[in-house]
Amino acid sequence: MRKYVPKDNVQKKSYYTDRFWVAPRVPQSDVEEGSHFASVVDALGDRVLCAYISLGQLIVTIKHQDNYSTLETLKDECGYKVCTELSAVDYLAQDGEFEIFYQMLNLDDALRVRVVCRIPDGEAIETTVPLFKSANFAEREMYDMFGIKINNHPFHKRIIMPDDWEGHPLLKTYPLQGDEFASWYEVDKIFGKEYRDVIGPENRDASRIDRYDTKRFSRVGYEVDFDADISKGESKTPIEYSQTVLVDYTTGTEQLDERR
Amino acid sequence: MAQHKVDFASNAGLPIALTSVDKLLNWGRSNSLWPLTYGLACCAIEMMASGGSRYDFDRMGTIFRASPRQSDVMILAGTLSKKHSEFARRLYDQMTEPKWVISMGSCANTGGMFNTYATVQGVDRIVPVDIYLPGCAPRPETLQYALMMLQKKIRSESANMNNNKKQDLRLI
Amino acid sequence: MQVTNKLSPFFENLNFERDDNTMVINFGPQHPSAHGQLRLVLELDGEEVVKALPDIGYLHRGIEKMAENMTYNEFLPTTDRLDYIASTANNYAYALSVERLIGLEVPRRAQVIRTMLLELNRIISHLFFIATHALDVGAMSVFLYAFREREFAMDLMEDYCGARLTHSAVRIGGVPLDLPDGWIENMITYTQKLPENVKMYEDLLTENRIWKMRLEDVGTISAENAMSWGCSGVMLRGSGIKYDIRKEEPYELYSELNFDIPVSNSCDSLGRYKLYMEEMRQSARIIEQLVLMYPKTEPKLMAHSPQYISASKEEMMTQNYALMQHFVLVTQGMRPPKGDVYVPTESPKGELGFYIKSEGEPYAYRLKCRAPSFYHTGLLQELLVGTYIADVVTIIGTTNIVFGEVDR
Repeated sequence: MRKYVPKDNVQKKSYYTDRFWVAPRVPQSDVEEGSHFASVVDALGDRVLCAYISLGQLIVTIKHQDNYSTLETLKDECGYKVCTELSAVDYLAQDGEFEIFYQMLNLDDALRVRVVCRIPDGEAIETTVPLFKSANFAEREMYDMFGIKINNHPFHKRIIMPDDWEGHPLLKTYPLQGDEFASWYEVDKIFGKEYRDVIGPENRDASRIDRYDTKRFSRVGYEVDFDADISKGESKTPIEYSQTVLVDYTTGTEQLDERR
Repeated sequence: MAQHKVDFASNAGLPIALTSVDKLLNWGRSNSLWPLTYGLACCAIEMMASGGSRYDFDRMGTIFRASPRQSDVMILAGTLSKKHSEFARRLYDQMTEPKWVISMGSCANTGGMFNTYATVQGVDRIVPVDIYLPGCAPRPETLQYALMMLQKKIRSESANMNNNKKQDLRLI
Repeated sequence: MQVTNKLSPFFENLNFERDDNTMVINFGPQHPSAHGQLRLVLELDGEEVVKALPDIGYLHRGIEKMAENMTYNEFLPTTDRLDYIASTANNYAYALSVERLIGLEVPRRAQVIRTMLLELNRIISHLFFIATHALDVGAMSVFLYAFREREFAMDLMEDYCGARLTHSAVRIGGVPLDLPDGWIENMITYTQKLPENVKMYEDLLTENRIWKMRLEDVGTISAENAMSWGCSGVMLRGSGIKYDIRKEEPYELYSELNFDIPVSNSCDSLGRYKLYMEEMRQSARIIEQLVLMYPKTEPKLMAHSPQYISASKEEMMTQNYALMQHFVLVTQGMRPPKGDVYVPTESPKGELGFYIKSEGEPYAYRLKCRAPSFYHTGLLQELLVGTYIADVVTIIGTTNIVFGEVDR
């Protein structure tokens, strides 16, 4: 019977998991009264769905419609003037949602806040480029990698993959080694589809060596013509360099003695 | 005037060296290979190091050229991504004949460790390759050795490129 | 003869017939001073750039996707290829985020070695910066001198880990090897010599008329802009904001070390070049302090945490359970707790952070590499506008971008 592979997440999975094994959680603590983070949570008001501290950083969960106003408050009132990172996590298989996080930095107090929101598949998120110009590239990358549309982005195009690429590579449904389109991309583009047969499919096994393939491989000391037939064996062509003595260990040790 | 040991009168009056056209052309071709500075990824740094002060590529007659029109050999140093593949082929087309290609590093040879959707699995899908240079990243000495092997290969080739069997792959 | 393929002649490179009297030129992706594979589409009015559009992605290798398909230890060597000029900084940033995720304390000797390697890598990277930047601007001899010193630093790296470029010298939970014999002495010789060499580059460049003309008031970034574009590292400090993650959010041994953070208020390329030079001296100073710390540490290199980290080779060969645990960790991989972590570190280029989302599986659910160069490339579209075409290479050089981490 063929092995069952879930279609909604084709990434590599652990081949064995103990059935009694329960994953622990990264420690989380509540926001302390009177701390800086508490003032941040207060400033954000009722936009905060949930706030906790994990590994020294405040993590604030909000609704995806509030992303612009939340970041604006963080920037103008709390001093989080740098948006260091922005990206998404694919939770389509579990919840049909993407998780988008904004990693904010306060340069004066050296503190970091992560704003997290969930957005259902197919909905667009408001751009934050008017607040942080760094979001320009980051949001384009998010669109490129996940296909999350950005509202009002000044240049809403693919950034990393080519413009004519199909699919969004970081989705869990996208296989690591690419789909049919990806595997023929360069051949189709340069030579045309009719050359697929000439060039052949991709060899994804990096360690495969064809002993008789003289188009791609040659043995040092046994060089033959390009594309020669060596199934009957090849003749030895000694290479001469100054200082170089080739020792054939298979035939005898005379050469080796000479070298000594 | 210095006294020469060669007595020209006894050697038919002229200093003559006998050779074949093949050998003469190949001697010229192989001893001043100008590579294209085609740094793609990590290997480009090692390529730069081999042009740098310690490894000193210039002593082998190798001067990196920035333009494909002036270069003889293309050192594809690093990962070739699918987005870039078109440009790699374009640059290869722009180089004048005769031209050779060194594929430097595992990524260029086979895709290497980047067995992913975005990497060309071996640049020989795009351009015909003369020398495959293993390593991740290969040391500058390895690149120099590869260049020496290429010189050796050029010397053994026919000076008329149309006679070389390599032409087959160029058709694609 | 070579038969033509499907690619049509490329005339979009130059476009003269436009109504607005501007010329569009295509810079890259193969350009000797594009620092890899940057493609810029520049719109020129005469010699002045009126619009710049950086086009990246020519070195996209799917590293983030690979992280989702590799166990945590398997992925570590891949991080070498992010910023390939300073591999240890990447290894370290990744290892640190995994360690934070699982809450691991690294033995002190490993910390000393790691910090030493990090600073040595900073020197290597900055030397590379000065070499290529000077080469782009036109000073060839600085390239040769800087590469000479860089080779000696690479020799030290090679003595330690065996690789010149892709080190993987830092592992999750410590370092795999102790320093080899005589390494410390070589290191001291090197760090003592380095300030003299840096002085020599400065003699060649700082007061050089051409160098000053090419760099002064070129690529000016205001503090406001630097923050808005997410600049970090020297790009941020060159604009007068004193923020170094090593000082502000110290990791490893940086809280115990004495070093200065150079800041420049000139906001231009020349100011940033001076910062790079000063940072090299500071790195040499840090290494000299670490050398004194090293003998006082106990010879333990990997953290003891059987659930996540394999035991030492000796234990593995003598104790059955250590070997069994090693098999489990190799075949299945470690399973960090559920949760997410973002850990920033100061790589030579700027803030390098790894965001790791773990679902308690041996494979990371999502790994996002926050690469400083990515944001510095984004800055180019504003920085290049209004400058002359000759300054473009200076500005690309001063941002010190590496395409391995821009495109990932």
